[in-house]
Amino acid sequence: MSRVWSTLQRAWRQRALVLALARRELLARYRGGVLGFFWSLLNPLLLLLVYATVFRLVFTPRADVRPYALFLFAGVLCWGFVSSALLDAAETFRTNGPLLRKTTVAPEVFPAVSTGARFAHLVLALPVLAGAIAIGALDGSVRPDAAVLQFPVVLVLLAAMVLGLALVVSSLSVHFGDVRDLLANVLTLTFFLTPILYPIESAPRRLRLLFWLNPFAPFFVAVHESAFFFRPVPAIAWAGMIVWTFLALAAGAAVFERLRDSIAEEA
Amino acid sequence: MTPPPAAIDVQSLTKLYRRWGKKRSIGTFKSALLSGRPGRALAPDEAIPALTDVSFTVAPGETVGIVGPNGSGKSTLLKVLAGILRPTAGSVSVRGRLAALLELGAGFHPEISGRENIEINGLLLGLSRKEIARRFDEIVRFAELEEFLDAPVKTYSSGMAVRLGFSIAAHSDPDVLLVDEVLAVGDEAFSRRSLEKFAEFERAGKTLLFVSHDLGLIAERCHRAIWLDGGRVAADAPAGEAVTLYRESVAAREAARRAQPRSAPAAGRPRRVGSGAATLAAVRLLDSAGRETVRLRSGEAARLVMEVEAPEPLDDFVFGFAISTVAGATVFGSNTAIDGFVPSGLEAPSTVALDIPSLELAPGVYSVDAAIHARDGSPYDYRRDVLRFEVAAEHPTAGVWSPDRRWSFSEGIRWKT
Repeated sequence: MSRVWSTLQRAWRQRALVLALARRELLARYRGGVLGFFWSLLNPLLLLLVYATVFRLVFTPRADVRPYALFLFAGVLCWGFVSSALLDAAETFRTNGPLLRKTTVAPEVFPAVSTGARFAHLVLALPVLAGAIAIGALDGSVRPDAAVLQFPVVLVLLAAMVLGLALVVSSLSVHFGDVRDLLANVLTLTFFLTPILYPIESAPRRLRLLFWLNPFAPFFVAVHESAFFFRPVPAIAWAGMIVWTFLALAAGAAVFERLRDSIAEEA
Repeated sequence: MTPPPAAIDVQSLTKLYRRWGKKRSIGTFKSALLSGRPGRALAPDEAIPALTDVSFTVAPGETVGIVGPNGSGKSTLLKVLAGILRPTAGSVSVRGRLAALLELGAGFHPEISGRENIEINGLLLGLSRKEIARRFDEIVRFAELEEFLDAPVKTYSSGMAVRLGFSIAAHSDPDVLLVDEVLAVGDEAFSRRSLEKFAEFERAGKTLLFVSHDLGLIAERCHRAIWLDGGRVAADAPAGEAVTLYRESVAAREAARRAQPRSAPAAGRPRRVGSGAATLAAVRLLDSAGRETVRLRSGEAARLVMEVEAPEPLDDFVFGFAISTVAGATVFGSNTAIDGFVPSGLEAPSTVALDIPSLELAPGVYSVDAAIHARDGSPYDYRRDVLRFEVAAEHPTAGVWSPDRRWSFSEGIRWKT
């Protein structure tokens, strides 16, 4: 517990640097493109249009999750954050090797930057989600209410859990060359096992418990409840999110501290 | 009165580099998991000592140089002092704000502007946003990059990037500055300006620790130098002395290496040619006391000796020596014919000696060629690079000649004594 705390404290003391480096990632990504930050809106917008078109014209989704495009969009947006942040974290020590070896920067800064920069992407895409909800509200297909206020809290918990996992993934990637490839596969599998494309009620009844044991399940249940159904997030989901967030941070701090000395040597 | 607390205090520092190499080259996370003992894959296979039992202290305001061959642990030492690496054993403490210049512009991102990079680099050096804002103009002025501030760093020349990196570090106002061989980069003017900046640090009572292969610079700039060899402190002495000791060891090692049987001669320029009518059995360098040596001080007396063997008596022979720099420029060359000796007879074995009362060579490593040949130049035995020796001096000079010299000044020129 104290170890988790001291790791987090160190990262917090470096927050100005984390913010500046995350900003640098974003700037470097969008700099040069004529559209600049507009790209961060355009990508999710196109994604939403594709969903809206496909699920209106090609597939007919289940009646209980309409408009399905919006349901899918909310989940996929958040999942995009999870998977891109972790994949970045798996590479961050390799990309930032010179900084680690040649400056006195604390290594926990880098997984924090991966998480922070991707979280900023997610936040930048939220106007598109908000717009889609507004359009849905206009034609009466969704009825947003105060329940949506739970959504930012869910996102913050999700970011904290991803930070914990990013610490694990990044420090393991220093020692094992295949962490990123393995992670990509695990993420694809997890994507389908997590209630992102479907509500958790669609899982077969006898496997329902198994689905709930997936650490990401409570987060995506909560995403859909708060930003699509506009219902209170069930207590079980809150409990799950808090427990998994804490466990992820504890595991992150433990693995990171264990391997910390070797990061500057091996990166 | 007790002395002021040390700015840098290193006690029995040992640093082992752990190797995961063996397993890692084939090892993957997948196989580590499949082995059922993933923790085992994270245990190091072997430990390689980079520093062993290193202790020293540096007083505030001191400028200390670190010298030693590649792989002697110099950079590891700086990294441990900077906190990038942790000591395996022993302790390291640094008082005050520390800045490490291990590589200029290490934190630059090519896609973003100089302005943004200044901020990030400053944060990396431990400055707060406020401090960066306050020093921003000065940083830019020193780097002479006013016009390029908003251009991405990838459009900078390497010289510009180096200037900017140095300027940021120099303005981070550390109490202790660690510098690793960064002065080797940049043009003449920049090197001079960075040296001026270091002098400014020194005057401001800051502590400076720097690694350099430029021994002349260390001897000139540092109060003290630490010579690291194989991860241990081989000498910790006033800079001139430590540098001389280190130079001597380099020359001795070089001599030992050459004592090994030679491998194939360098292509194109055979090291030894000749008919064998007479041969050079040995070539030696003796110091003023008559001891064989490979190290001399500039201005010392030297004697070059060749031992000659010949199967048959000869009546046509010339003995010669040449001294050149290792880069190949001839510094001196003469032979008995040039110096007016007309041969009459030679019965081997015999010895030829050339005395040089004052070897007025600048510090450096020199190579000796020795030859016996006929008066028409056809070689009996011509040996290139048969011997190397090093000349050491208290102060480095430029060029290859370091004559005995005296300055004089008219009235109106005064010097601090």
